[in-house]
Amino acid sequence: MFSKMIHNKIWQKPHRLLQHVQSRLPSFAFTSISNHIKSVINRLNKHNPLKRKNYDLPLDKNEDTHFLVLLIALMSFLAVLSISGTIAMDTMTNRWSSGLENKVTVEISVETKEGHILSQETIGQETLELYKMLSKHPDVKSADVLGYEDIQELLSPWLGDSMNMKDIPLPGLIAVELQNIDEDGLQAFTKDIEKTSRYAQLETHREWLSDLIHFTKTLQTLALIITIIIGFITVIAIAYAVRTRLALHHNEVELLHHMGARDNYIAEQFRGHAIALSFKGGVIGTAAGLVVTYALTLLSSHSGTDLIPVIHIGAWGIVILCAVPILVCIVAVATSQLTVLRNLAKMP
Amino acid sequence: MIRFKNVHFRYNPHGRDILHDMNFTLKRGSYHFLTGPSGAGKTSLINLLFLGNIPTQGKITIFGQNINKASRKEMCTLRQNIGVVFQDFRLLPHLSAFDNVALPLRISGRPNNEIQSHVSELLDWVGLGDQKNNRPETLSGGQQQRVAIARAIIAQPKLLLADEPTGNLDDQIGFRLMGLFEQLNRMGTTIVIATHNPNIIEQFGHPCLRLVDGSVKQDNPALHIKKKIRHVF
Repeated sequence: MFSKMIHNKIWQKPHRLLQHVQSRLPSFAFTSISNHIKSVINRLNKHNPLKRKNYDLPLDKNEDTHFLVLLIALMSFLAVLSISGTIAMDTMTNRWSSGLENKVTVEISVETKEGHILSQETIGQETLELYKMLSKHPDVKSADVLGYEDIQELLSPWLGDSMNMKDIPLPGLIAVELQNIDEDGLQAFTKDIEKTSRYAQLETHREWLSDLIHFTKTLQTLALIITIIIGFITVIAIAYAVRTRLALHHNEVELLHHMGARDNYIAEQFRGHAIALSFKGGVIGTAAGLVVTYALTLLSSHSGTDLIPVIHIGAWGIVILCAVPILVCIVAVATSQLTVLRNLAKMP
Repeated sequence: MIRFKNVHFRYNPHGRDILHDMNFTLKRGSYHFLTGPSGAGKTSLINLLFLGNIPTQGKITIFGQNINKASRKEMCTLRQNIGVVFQDFRLLPHLSAFDNVALPLRISGRPNNEIQSHVSELLDWVGLGDQKNNRPETLSGGQQQRVAIARAIIAQPKLLLADEPTGNLDDQIGFRLMGLFEQLNRMGTTIVIATHNPNIIEQFGHPCLRLVDGSVKQDNPALHIKKKIRHVF
């Protein structure tokens, strides 16, 4: 149904366009233009894999055709999910990295290194001293003291909105955005903070961020491996289907060979069939995969919690996902061509 | 034109020779009957002639080309110049009579309008003009055989091979088709017909390739010229 629809839309449109142009152009100008356009259309139609073709071999009559379309659709669906997962993770990692770049947090802990509990008054004074120093520091772009509301907002995913923060001893937190400084500059900045307050600790986020990025990179590699495995299974399935068809139609293939058909003539029949099947399966699977990806994107953006990251695919991501049926077709064509030629080479 | 020199052939590498030490030459435009008892190797020899198999040993030259040295592409071109009527017809069941006959022209890349006119004309000639859209399963044995013959001659081959071509035909159509082969032969086509039918061999009086126990004996052509003259007068 899809292939017929696409055939009608893409390949018959030029003919309608030609008729429209014909009605508006004077006949003398039209003749040469229309001949040229017709030859281009005929050339296009000659290579149109979706155009119904009278195969010398009854490849489209096989019972497992629907199974193969289903299998390719399933593989395309899994490939789309796997690729969209990889893209989403990449976008997420970039967002985390760029969001936390040059950002540090200075903290006055409630409990000191020696195990003493600081009063809220002391924490407030130390925080203020630090803020004054940071405001004048040459390496600091901006510094913001986090109030009760900010800390409550940060902790709400874990503790809930109903918790009264006044009952809990809270640390002093200053969010600092630094200028672009190197490792030495960061060490000097740490010393300046320690000089101002002996209770202050610098949290650069680098350690946990690098762990997180490492984890997502591992997941991305895993997704890539899964995509390769899917591709490999698709290749095996198509090769197996082509070999089965070659065995089923051995007599017909042999007859064509004996009549002087070139290997490429026979392979072309299988190629056309493989394109039609893989395109059909690829489009169905990719469409289903895109629907699921879109549903997951909507779900993540309306989850209402910051714990679930928002999935974002982006324009390039969609382009890559939409290219899956074309990739499937390329894989199918290459597999079918190689399988047929290898089998035909055994004939004298 | 076609030359077999010390040709041996066996299907199984460890088995016995089906054809052994075959030496004969078929001149361009010649007409031969291939005879011999069942199991003598007629079909194997036909297979070697249309390059369906390659010899286990020896040299075959077809249209001046040594097939042992021919490239894959050259073998295809050689095959396109050979028409074969198989004993079991080997028509493609999913194609109509028209498409079956059109196959050799499609394979050699002829334009559609040429295919349309030539195939229709030939099907009319063999009396199947009104059956051209029918599939082989709806045709009788004789009609299927005529489709197979039409397919073999449509591309005007240089060599025409036929394995028992009149086997399923009544005498009248059989002789009419033999007449067609005669006509093709007069146009320069080399013809080899495997047959059991002594009437046809006697009637048309062409030289015979007699297969006995896997080796070939070529009749003296002079004898056949005498026979033919006797037949004409």
